Amino acid sequence: MGQMFYQESDFENTVISYDLSNRGIDISALYHLSFQDYNTYQGNKYHKDKNTLGYINLGTSENKLCTDLLAERLSQSDMTYIDEDLLQYTDWRGQPFLRKEVARFLTFYCKTPEFLDPENVVILNGHSAVFSALAMVLCDPGEAFLVPTPSYGGFAFSTHLYAKVKLVPVHLESQVTEANGYPFQLTVDKLEQALLGAKIEGKKVRGLVLINPQNPLGDVYSQDSMMEYLEFAKKYNLHVIVDEMYMLSVFDEAITFHSVLSMKSLPDPNKTHVIWGTSKDFCISGFRFGALYTHNREVASAMSSFGYLHSISGIAQYKLRQLLQDREWIDNVYLPSYHFRLQEAHRYVTHKLKALKVPFLNRGSGLYVWINLKQYLDPCTFEEELLLHHRFLDHKLILSPGKAFMCKEPGWFRLIFAARPHLLRSGMHRFQQVLVEQEQEHRVKQLEDAMKEEVSTSQPETPASPVLRKS
Amino acid sequence: MTRPGENSDTDNASPEPRVPAPPAPPRRREPRFAEQEGPAGPRARGLSAQVLALPSRSPRLQLSLPPGNQELTLPAALAVLQGPCALPPALAALSQILEAGHMSTLPQKESRMTTACPGSDSIQGLPGNKGDGLERECSRKPDQKPLKFYGVGDPTAMFCSSSPYLSSRGSIIKWFWDSAEEGYRTYHMDEYDEDKNPSGIINLGTSENKLCFDLLSRRLSQSDMLQVEPSLLQYPDWRGHLFLREEVARFLSFYCRSPAPLKPENVVVLNGSASLFSALAMVLCEAAEAFLIPAPYYGAITQHVYLYGNVRLVYVYLDSEVTGLETRPFQLTVEKLEMALQGANSEGVKVKGLILINPQNPLGDIYSPAELQEYLEFAKRHELHVMVDEVYMLSVFEESVGYRSVLSLERLPDPQRTHVVWATSKDFGISGLRFGTLYTENQDVATAVTSLCRYHGLSGLTQYQMAQLLRDRDWINQVYLPENHARLKAAHTYVSEDLRALGIPFVSRGAGFFIWVDLRKYLPEATFEEEVRLWRRFLENKVLLSFGKAFECKEPGWFRLVFSDKTHRLRLGMQRVRQVLEGQPQVAEDAPPRQNQEP
Repeated sequence: MGQMFYQESDFENTVISYDLSNRGIDISALYHLSFQDYNTYQGNKYHKDKNTLGYINLGTSENKLCTDLLAERLSQSDMTYIDEDLLQYTDWRGQPFLRKEVARFLTFYCKTPEFLDPENVVILNGHSAVFSALAMVLCDPGEAFLVPTPSYGGFAFSTHLYAKVKLVPVHLESQVTEANGYPFQLTVDKLEQALLGAKIEGKKVRGLVLINPQNPLGDVYSQDSMMEYLEFAKKYNLHVIVDEMYMLSVFDEAITFHSVLSMKSLPDPNKTHVIWGTSKDFCISGFRFGALYTHNREVASAMSSFGYLHSISGIAQYKLRQLLQDREWIDNVYLPSYHFRLQEAHRYVTHKLKALKVPFLNRGSGLYVWINLKQYLDPCTFEEELLLHHRFLDHKLILSPGKAFMCKEPGWFRLIFAARPHLLRSGMHRFQQVLVEQEQEHRVKQLEDAMKEEVSTSQPETPASPVLRKS
Repeated sequence: MTRPGENSDTDNASPEPRVPAPPAPPRRREPRFAEQEGPAGPRARGLSAQVLALPSRSPRLQLSLPPGNQELTLPAALAVLQGPCALPPALAALSQILEAGHMSTLPQKESRMTTACPGSDSIQGLPGNKGDGLERECSRKPDQKPLKFYGVGDPTAMFCSSSPYLSSRGSIIKWFWDSAEEGYRTYHMDEYDEDKNPSGIINLGTSENKLCFDLLSRRLSQSDMLQVEPSLLQYPDWRGHLFLREEVARFLSFYCRSPAPLKPENVVVLNGSASLFSALAMVLCEAAEAFLIPAPYYGAITQHVYLYGNVRLVYVYLDSEVTGLETRPFQLTVEKLEMALQGANSEGVKVKGLILINPQNPLGDIYSPAELQEYLEFAKRHELHVMVDEVYMLSVFEESVGYRSVLSLERLPDPQRTHVVWATSKDFGISGLRFGTLYTENQDVATAVTSLCRYHGLSGLTQYQMAQLLRDRDWINQVYLPENHARLKAAHTYVSEDLRALGIPFVSRGAGFFIWVDLRKYLPEATFEEEVRLWRRFLENKVLLSFGKAFECKEPGWFRLVFSDKTHRLRLGMQRVRQVLEGQPQVAEDAPPRQNQEP
């Protein structure tokens, strides 16, 4: 996804058009704000030979580590099959053969106690489409989802554009307050506080959105925690949307990911909906495939109405089926290489961060690290965060600032490490340059302030010297 | 559908007696999606509106409901309607969904059609394709005067159940699917297969071209299609990969014969024309605003603009009868557009645009450049956007009709408000590939639609294949188009001759995959209930057609028959159609005189 700077409060329409409706203008403006960096990057990408001055994008969570493996697999002869069914109108919930394969695939990789039912699978063209359609069918305009933040910024986009659904952030804090706690820990207490706050403001909350493995934190919820969150939701009659887009991107062997589908009994199965897709776990964000798994047939039916507007080419559906059913390749070739490459890239980046004394959350999943650059902000505000972000851009490096994830504390950034080594090396080099520059400026500023203070205390009436004013 | 008491001005022109407004909940203009009302509200209102919109030939409002033939007085009718959905939504929605291709496909057994198709040798002598090229065999019904010039659509009119798990709009959205699902199941449980299920249902309802699968399959299997560049696997430019937009611009410049080369920056690519209508509705209208559309029209557009956009359609009703300045049945005139627009305005419905389908679906009609120009001038006068849907532009198999794309016009009256929709689904017979494109000179509109492309993107590999396909001008011009047109023509000839032999009037002009058939004389009463009953009789005899109501046709008794299918299925399908009609009593005085059958 592109950069998300969307926050309702500071979102102003910058687009003026006499041809568009107000909501059309709003959509355009939001898109412009959210994707301007991404579009700049698209027009000027770094290339190690052809465009060394181009942008390096460590901001978009796109997996570029294994495109070679995927390109190779997708070129094999079993992928090229064409028959009439693939070229004609089909079941709008997704081709039956693909829904069947997705059910089998999730049964296996989510370790479900029972076989999943293909009738509970709805296939649309990507995670965003699934989320957008879910927001439509679960909420009326103006209603809301709870979402623990920092959280994937695309949700704000997907709930707002078409569905006009609001997000109520459950603000998590970096500070650890409880014994055995960890930074940005989600607790039922926090969920309840946020829900109460929303009720007081008169917002109607219809659901809770959980990302597991979490984006941008990289946290993996324990079974017990997950159960608590689900019980909370049941208690307050909320739907739970569990986004498991990164479920196969857990690269630290010490960590065990538990899919919500692996639970023996869900507290409220009719209100638990799982999203998965191949964009992250299989490095094919350009393929446009997302799946919903829900026990609730009413939700599945309502979602199916959107099949029309979010459909996938029959040929692409066939290729996806071939890919997902090749368990041997996935288990013996793809996943081992993928995890190995993630580990290497993660090691490289975290090593660099340590050398630079940049604090970060050291997690073993996802394509990103959540880093703390507070020490480079003076004062520690979102304005300064944005300035630092622009400084990265000036150095042709894209990172995602914390505000894009609705993080409450300024100074956090998400850094994507799922890039090929040469790109990562150049990217980290630019990163370091920016921090050095920032630090120097920081120091000069501090010095200036100190001087100013000195000057003002000794000679209150004298204006500042030209040298000092120059800054 | 009009609402009670809202269209007094236009009603004056019709002999229809004024019916007092039923005790429905107070009328509200807010978008249905924003409403929090329970199911009873929309049901009561929607269905009562439905009653009023029913054409009636007697001075008293009569309504016959399946099953049985009992006539009901208004209160009784309402009572019945407010019970469980009287006209099963499944039936009403089925045809729309079939239209939209809510179907999987039939197995392919034959690769060639032309040689096997009876009547293919008499293509030149096809009557009715001379002169204005339109079959004009419509019977006249003297007592059936137009009731309305326009109607304001309410897609939720028949909605009747809500779910505790879903939002109010979610319940409606689910209902769309369920009502489609039921009919879909009927067909799917019993699909025709030459070997495995010869007594299964033949689908002459879905507008798909099943004649050229062999050609497409061969072309799409060629080695140039199989490339897997890593960049194709990554997030694209959401407007569509540049290589594809360049190709689309070149392609449309050539086939639309645009006076100047079209520009890639005016092209937005997404997964089908459905998505385009959805996105355009969103960015051109506020919720509850409307587009004008001449009816009968491709009924699926109703849902496309409604699902996300909550935009309504205002139908510009066309008549089969030729009067005054018109030269052919169902002719669109500026006068009709003006009346519909005025009518909508008088009801407080804000109209933001006009949708034109050219070649028209289901009429197969084609607008001349002069007509197009008039419609565009009309739109300009009223500052309306015009969306021209040209998805059948290469499916004009009768060369003499001289089709012209709106992009070929020397000067567009309002280029900033003219938006062209094209897709490969129909013209290349690949509805399953999901590729559609917008061409607009208006950068605001292009950008706004692009903002929604994240939700309507198509796979990079598909984009690559589409570019390869559109680039191959040799294959398109020398292999595909001549063959496709010959096959369409042969199939059309076969079906139209069959209809002629049966003495059935129809409208067809040499474009599209369908014939608009006039079966009014087979309805004992000119009601939509009788239309559905006849449609069901076809289905019971294992042939699926689309009934006129699904296209919001004002006159009951019209059906759309899709002929772009393989000979053996077509022959069997027509045979089944004939069986039903032969067993159906004709309304004697309405039957057209025999001599009118041949020009």
